[in-house]
Amino acid sequence: MKAPFSSYLDSITPALRELAGKLDSQYDYVSILSTDSAGFSLAVSQHSKSVSNSNMTTERGTVVRVCRNGLYSEYAFNDLDPDRVEQLADTLQAELDRQLRLLEATGSEVYETGILPDEPLELFVEKEAERLPEKMDLSELVDSFSALSDAGMKTIPGALDCGLRASSTHISKLFLTKNRFLRQSYVYTEGVIFAYAPNPDGELRTVYEGVSGCGGPEILDGLKEKLEAAPQTMREVLGAEKIVPGEYDIIVDPHAAGLIAHEAFGHGVEMDMFVKGRALGADYIGRRVGSDLVTMHEGAACAESVTAYAFDDEGIPAGDVIEIDHGILRTGICDALSALRLGTVPTGNGKRENYAHKVYTRMTNTVFDAGNDSLEDMIASIQNGYLLRGVQSGMEDPKHWGIQCILDRGYEIKDGRLTGKVVSPIIMTGYVPDLLGSVSMAGRDCSISGNGACGKGHKEWVKVADGGPYLKMKARLG
Amino acid sequence: MIERIKTKLETLDCDAWELTEANRRGWEFYFIRHRLDQNRAVEVKSCSVKLFKELEDGRYLGSASGTIPPTASDEEIDERLASILYQAGLVKNPYYTLHDTPVDIPAKTDAVDVAGIAENFIRAVRGVAETESEDINSYEIFVNSITRHTLNSNGVEYTCTYPSCTLDLVVNARQEGHEIEVYRFFTSGTCDADALKEDIAAAMQCGRDRLKAVPTPAVGSVDVVFSTADAVSIYDYFLERMSAGMKVHKMSDWEIGNPVVEHAQGDRISLEVLSSLENSSMNYPVDAEGAPIRDRWLIRDGVAESYYGSRQFSQYIGLENTSLVNNVRFSGGSASAEEVRSGDYLEIVEFSDFQVDSMSGDIAGEIRVAYWHHDGEITVVSGGSVSGNMLDAARSMRFSRETRQYDTHVIPAVTRLQGLRITAAAQ
Repeated sequence: MKAPFSSYLDSITPALRELAGKLDSQYDYVSILSTDSAGFSLAVSQHSKSVSNSNMTTERGTVVRVCRNGLYSEYAFNDLDPDRVEQLADTLQAELDRQLRLLEATGSEVYETGILPDEPLELFVEKEAERLPEKMDLSELVDSFSALSDAGMKTIPGALDCGLRASSTHISKLFLTKNRFLRQSYVYTEGVIFAYAPNPDGELRTVYEGVSGCGGPEILDGLKEKLEAAPQTMREVLGAEKIVPGEYDIIVDPHAAGLIAHEAFGHGVEMDMFVKGRALGADYIGRRVGSDLVTMHEGAACAESVTAYAFDDEGIPAGDVIEIDHGILRTGICDALSALRLGTVPTGNGKRENYAHKVYTRMTNTVFDAGNDSLEDMIASIQNGYLLRGVQSGMEDPKHWGIQCILDRGYEIKDGRLTGKVVSPIIMTGYVPDLLGSVSMAGRDCSISGNGACGKGHKEWVKVADGGPYLKMKARLG
Repeated sequence: MIERIKTKLETLDCDAWELTEANRRGWEFYFIRHRLDQNRAVEVKSCSVKLFKELEDGRYLGSASGTIPPTASDEEIDERLASILYQAGLVKNPYYTLHDTPVDIPAKTDAVDVAGIAENFIRAVRGVAETESEDINSYEIFVNSITRHTLNSNGVEYTCTYPSCTLDLVVNARQEGHEIEVYRFFTSGTCDADALKEDIAAAMQCGRDRLKAVPTPAVGSVDVVFSTADAVSIYDYFLERMSAGMKVHKMSDWEIGNPVVEHAQGDRISLEVLSSLENSSMNYPVDAEGAPIRDRWLIRDGVAESYYGSRQFSQYIGLENTSLVNNVRFSGGSASAEEVRSGDYLEIVEFSDFQVDSMSGDIAGEIRVAYWHHDGEITVVSGGSVSGNMLDAARSMRFSRETRQYDTHVIPAVTRLQGLRITAAAQ
């Protein structure tokens, strides 16, 4: 079925048009983004259960962007009264004018920017979803999660708890300007199953597996399959040793490859950072940053994931950009305002945490292309190294291309064979061009995952997805 | 909105409820260098509802929460409440009760001067001394006035207005065509201009030093000193393990009356909850469930004294008079900062990301800037990583008697963890 576009947003469209019309006479540019996204979050474990009709992407509100004399300003609110649009327009102008008086009092200069293009465009997209989160009877899900939690406690060695968490959001967004009227509706869902147990040193070790995608809560059916691998993974983690720090030949699984893609040349080519002179990537367009085996795509149109929108939060259609083409950095990703400032075109990567937050250039799907190698051949090619699986977190350094990835576990490889020894946890660090330059084999199949969220600095959390194939490279592990 | 919902709750078949209405007025200013990139104003209202339903003759308590948008019609409010109530019947948790003691703390309703605080931030950042080789790349100022009105079906009610601010700032340092950046993220109640200028100057010094850094050498296991905001993660390991939630979920095995660190040879942790803390971004004295936040010890002289947490998890472990926590103070140790910094050690002042996992105790972070003190010499180093585990490191942990504040936390100014593993940087 099609995920239906919000009837609430349909109902306020005349008022939004009226608001835009009133502001058009006062400003050089006016756009409005309105959102109405409903969903749920659910957590079930042996010790507690919780359910809510809200999660990190549920929202209802509006943000107005205006430009006057080269200065872009925004007003975000969530109490629109369609019968009092004129008063709202006055309130908006008065509040922004108060800010301008403060800026004048402090002698603040403006980063003057041109007027955003506003070519006519209409778009109405309703994506497929078998079920809608806001219509779902959660009793079925609570029962199945409880059963999986009980099953995990029986099969996962030493588990102090086995739990499941899920969230699903039916996103509806409307964007309008004088010449644009865009509407989209889609559903994304994600879930994880996790368990934790103490190792012989008393340290609690956690294993988890996730499912995610563009679609309804039916995606969560995949968690049952994920539980099957958990007992063996827990045994490996509980018996894991500490790694001897050093440089190794490594193979990363598609999840870890995705984390590298995200941290290496995801953040590094967000072009709002170019405007500020905060990314080294600006100086490397057209230059080699990886081996011939490294080709990387980015864009909401790349995959039907948790971030597979049809247009971004600035009304730019979703893109599919080749950032790195056979090792050569070709381009970055860009929000509309940064594109205007840089004299380039936006790529559909202008995202907000929600309507109340500013737009930044943000990642969507960040994915390495597949190669022609088998995992078996990769393992056979390594004398002393590790196969790395599972991710915990990562951090980028776009100005200097340092990278930090914290990974779950490493499976030792000696003389072309897995020895059965496991190390955990692992901090992988390095210099991005060295890391990508060392990619010497790439697997045939890609997978993409979208559990978790990505911040900009220490805030602005948005959904992203990333992935790739198995990749062989060299890295420093600690 | 809250009155509309209260009226509807009177006829709803729920056994108890909690409501929180939060109104946020925010002013935001984004600067590139010192030119204004964008200004933003935010007026957002939110209303969250939690409904409770007794199940199986009161053996269990079901609950579900949700939000009601301020634009919701009467029909939509009815639908949302009915949906939340239905979901409450699905979630079967062991029985507990809501807070029922009237709040004896006066409401805080003084208006927050959003414009005045914003002006102070702008002027404070402008007042930072910049040079040709060190300057401010960009900054984002967020000033919020937040009003929270919390009430429940037992008659508990409290309203509080408070300021909450963030400064997100990047400084650059350059030398002979090579430029580096240092990122800082400050949260606070209002603008403490002098403290900010000092912290920004320290960030510039950090950038200056990074320019002359050499790759972190293979030093093996060494003592590591923490003297920046990253140290908060170390102390949060102790705070989080005293939460009733971690206790109920068997993530913490710490018991009241027992030492939190067995065979401790270093300084002993003392941790107290504070009902308020000057210039904290979370200065509301009643928690989200209507419990007053009282000054009290969680850990004293290394011994667990009390847990903290939500009403649900606190009751599960037999606690009645507790609350969630906003502000905390860790007492200083036995030695001066100078004494803690004695001998050979690596003082890491800038990480890509520093993490201490409160469940596993794992310590991890990539080193961006550190000072390697060895045989009386100091070398600025960069790259590589630090790793270890708090289960080991806490035993010999030492910290200074001097303390300093990072927003909601007061912690020892200098902390030393022995024997952490250092992975060398690529040469």
